[in-house]
Amino acid sequence: MTAATRKQRRQVVLLRPVPGQTVIHDLWAGSKLLIVAGIGVLLTFYPGWVPIGAVALLIVAAAALAHIPRGVLPTVPRLLWVLLALGALTATFAGGSPVIAVGSLDIGLGGLLNFLRITALSIVLIGLGAMVSWTTNVAEVAPAVATLGRPLRPLRVPVDDWAVTLALALRAFPMLIDEFRVLYAARQLRPQDVDATRGARRRRWASELIDLLAAAITVALRRADEMGDAITARGGAGQISAAPTRPKRRDWVVLAVVVLVCGVALALELTVLGTSGMRRR
Amino acid sequence: MCINTAGGGAGHTRGASSRSHDWQNRDMTSAGPESPPRRTGSLQPVELAQAAVMAALCAAIAIIAVVVPFAAGLSLLGTVPMGLLAYRYRLRVLIAATVAGGLVAFLIAGMGGFMTVVNCAYIGGLTGIVKRRGRGTPTVIAAALVAGALFGMATVVALAILSRLRNLIFESVTANVTGLAAVLARIPGMEAIAERMKRDFAIVLDHWPYLFFTTGVLSIVFVSLVGWWALSRVLSRLLGVPDVHKLESATDVGPVGPVPLRLHDVRFRYPTSDHDALGPLSLSVRSGEHLAVTGANGSGKTTLMLVLSGREPTAGTVERPGAVGLGKLGGTAVVMQHPESQVLGTRVADDVVWGLPPGTATDVNQLLSEVGLDGMAERDTGGLSGGELQRLAVAAALAREPSLLIADEVTSMVDQDGREGLMSVLSGLTRRHRTSLVHITHYNDEADAADRTVKLAGSGWPVTDSADMVETAKAPTAAFVADRPRGAPLLELSGVCHEYGNGTPWAKSALSDIDFAVHEGDGMLIHGLNGSGKSTLAWIMAGLTVPTTGACLLDGAPVSDQVGAVAISFQAARLQLMRSHVALEIASSAGFSVWNQARVTEALHTVGLDPTLAARRVDELSGGQMRRVVLAGLLARSPRALILDEPLAGLDAASQRALLRLLIELRRSRGLTVVVISHDFSGLEELCPRTLHLQRGVLTTAPTAAGDVS
Repeated sequence: MTAATRKQRRQVVLLRPVPGQTVIHDLWAGSKLLIVAGIGVLLTFYPGWVPIGAVALLIVAAAALAHIPRGVLPTVPRLLWVLLALGALTATFAGGSPVIAVGSLDIGLGGLLNFLRITALSIVLIGLGAMVSWTTNVAEVAPAVATLGRPLRPLRVPVDDWAVTLALALRAFPMLIDEFRVLYAARQLRPQDVDATRGARRRRWASELIDLLAAAITVALRRADEMGDAITARGGAGQISAAPTRPKRRDWVVLAVVVLVCGVALALELTVLGTSGMRRR
Repeated sequence: MCINTAGGGAGHTRGASSRSHDWQNRDMTSAGPESPPRRTGSLQPVELAQAAVMAALCAAIAIIAVVVPFAAGLSLLGTVPMGLLAYRYRLRVLIAATVAGGLVAFLIAGMGGFMTVVNCAYIGGLTGIVKRRGRGTPTVIAAALVAGALFGMATVVALAILSRLRNLIFESVTANVTGLAAVLARIPGMEAIAERMKRDFAIVLDHWPYLFFTTGVLSIVFVSLVGWWALSRVLSRLLGVPDVHKLESATDVGPVGPVPLRLHDVRFRYPTSDHDALGPLSLSVRSGEHLAVTGANGSGKTTLMLVLSGREPTAGTVERPGAVGLGKLGGTAVVMQHPESQVLGTRVADDVVWGLPPGTATDVNQLLSEVGLDGMAERDTGGLSGGELQRLAVAAALAREPSLLIADEVTSMVDQDGREGLMSVLSGLTRRHRTSLVHITHYNDEADAADRTVKLAGSGWPVTDSADMVETAKAPTAAFVADRPRGAPLLELSGVCHEYGNGTPWAKSALSDIDFAVHEGDGMLIHGLNGSGKSTLAWIMAGLTVPTTGACLLDGAPVSDQVGAVAISFQAARLQLMRSHVALEIASSAGFSVWNQARVTEALHTVGLDPTLAARRVDELSGGQMRRVVLAGLLARSPRALILDEPLAGLDAASQRALLRLLIELRRSRGLTVVVISHDFSGLEELCPRTLHLQRGVLTTAPTAAGDVS
């Protein structure tokens, strides 16, 4: 281990599923999107401890089934930890019920609990999205969107256009990211601007941003022109998948489990274990 | 085709096209709005591509803004790609891009990414439409006020419905404020302030609908103004950007029948040009024949491809039994030059069927095995080499069972290995399929496989170099040729290993145990095929990537601490040109004042460019000129060494030779240390007497397998 190794942060790998072929990997991409959307709605309407806990349980179970190693987690910058700690600290000072006694000290945990709940909610929502990207091949997403959107077609919603655009955007995305990397590297190689006086520095900064953006857009336009040619050469849009997958039995089982767990959590939240109801002082 | 409506742009670009050879075959148009009448119905190929690429760009910006701490301000820039779409195309394109970009951002950054893209599209759409209508800042402010009011109302309604979430957020923030106040209250003299803070915050929260409404309006107006400013600035920069799209959708109807084809005295002139790019040419393509078309650069090879694939010639006649049917079953199929951008699917099998009419059954595996990609149906197209991508493009063309297959310089951007694979696929094609093959190439030896060869003489266009055809080169067998006493070691790599995604399940080793040194005044070629890790090595040597283990030292200190000391010229020269004009660019990358004209002129001289070029826009330069401008900027800083990543890729034969001559001269006269990273050998022997071979991340002394085949 050299010093350089320790300095390096874990790289973020985008849009590539964790290698493996598990039940979760094999689920239809459409089911995963539906589940995520459904749970997202549930949690925004009822952000209580019980629903959050239930969803966290589902995520952990799915991660275990999909054999997701701990290495997928990106490095959290230290500053974020500091901010979280600061938030937790100020929230603790707010006090509020419930109050527990630690030795001779009475500590009101109401504020801290609220802070923890909103933090847990954010983590669970991020984890939900992460589970989809860790277990889904991007090639399956656009066909799934086309299938899911089929009921909208009679309403003259151009679902197929959307699905094709999505498929192409997913294809273009890694190429653009590579170009961004080169752009950033080229920027690093440059010396400090000698003309910039202190007064002009801010204007300089803005124009530099425009320069970078103009370079990125020029490259993107070129990429789009070439892609347009390629589409024309194929005679326009049509099929986007060689073997479109459909929901199978395991999808229905998983959907049933998710509905059951979320339903029970919701019922508990609305009856005996409610923590998200109106409780204004 | 986009028609340029921005007054000054057309004249400007036309002037450039007659000067720079690289763009001669292109229609020079700018990023102006699409001409009326506006289309209705499904998205056209160009619209789909633009929507997809701009969606990906917007998503990338949104993801960075969400994921990188304190980069949220970047999301302001995400409005520009969306604004550009709204400016150039109809609303349907913008909506498709919003859905696509939103979902891409969602897959990576969750709900936050999705909402950022939607916001960018909302404001980008507003500014883009105002721009298209030709209105100014007052209109933007008025529109932003209305849009802001709508947004504010939507926020308030949403929070009113999501009462529990609202409660949670409010209580949590209240807790933070109360806690802070409690801490403050313990400091003597601050009690009053703490009390006040608590009280005021409670009052504000009690009137939350007003708070959120006002914030919504103000933020939308602010973001719109920033977006408007950025869009205007970027649009003015895009005036000279050439539109490189060539093909047009087939408009002819009726039964498809592109062959036998007969051209009679065909001429073609681009709308903005003052000379014919092709012809007069008479040519016939018979059913089932393999026809090779050769010719120097500028003889109209690409233009011929356009005419064959259905573009109306300016003069002369084209006889076909039926419609061209570009991309249709039994019609005309085209395989083009650039490997990466022709492949449209993310998975190999998906790409083969991409665009086929729904319900068409295709034997994907059979097609893939014909082009030598057996068993790769499930692979990601992102990991394929250039040669594999091109063979995949051939498979996709064959899936349409074309009557006419046009291959336009398909081997010019792939390595030796890929070139041979492709040629073996193409050479037997007309025997296995009922198709005519027109193979356009600038490699003489590739024409040998054809039944018949047509040599394009070129029209009035001045060809810069008479002997313009290229022979493919063999790998030099000796790895080291000591041409002179070697100087002191400059760059030393010891035990360098690099792994991408280190510590994650996606970890992939790129380099292992690299040990070598580059000496003062060396000319070194690092040769390797696609995926051999040669670009990673270049980045490490320039200090842009820190190797996972091992060290790369420049003068004894890690080169990553001295970024900029070793110059690197990337393959995509355009990405290295950041300023709008040549003089600004050179001054900025070399680190001297833009007012120092003498040094700009001197820098241009060094790379053999005319000083009058200094006033030129960067986007008007040809590929070869762009590379030289990059070099001018890099060399003006007297770098310790110069790394060139694929310096010859994408240049025509004449520009390649000229650039090589320049580099050889620079090495001789200035003692410049040169490291070239390339998959090709042709002509590099003189510049680089020393060759290292890289194979799957390991240095080998013998030439790689690909070299042996030739």
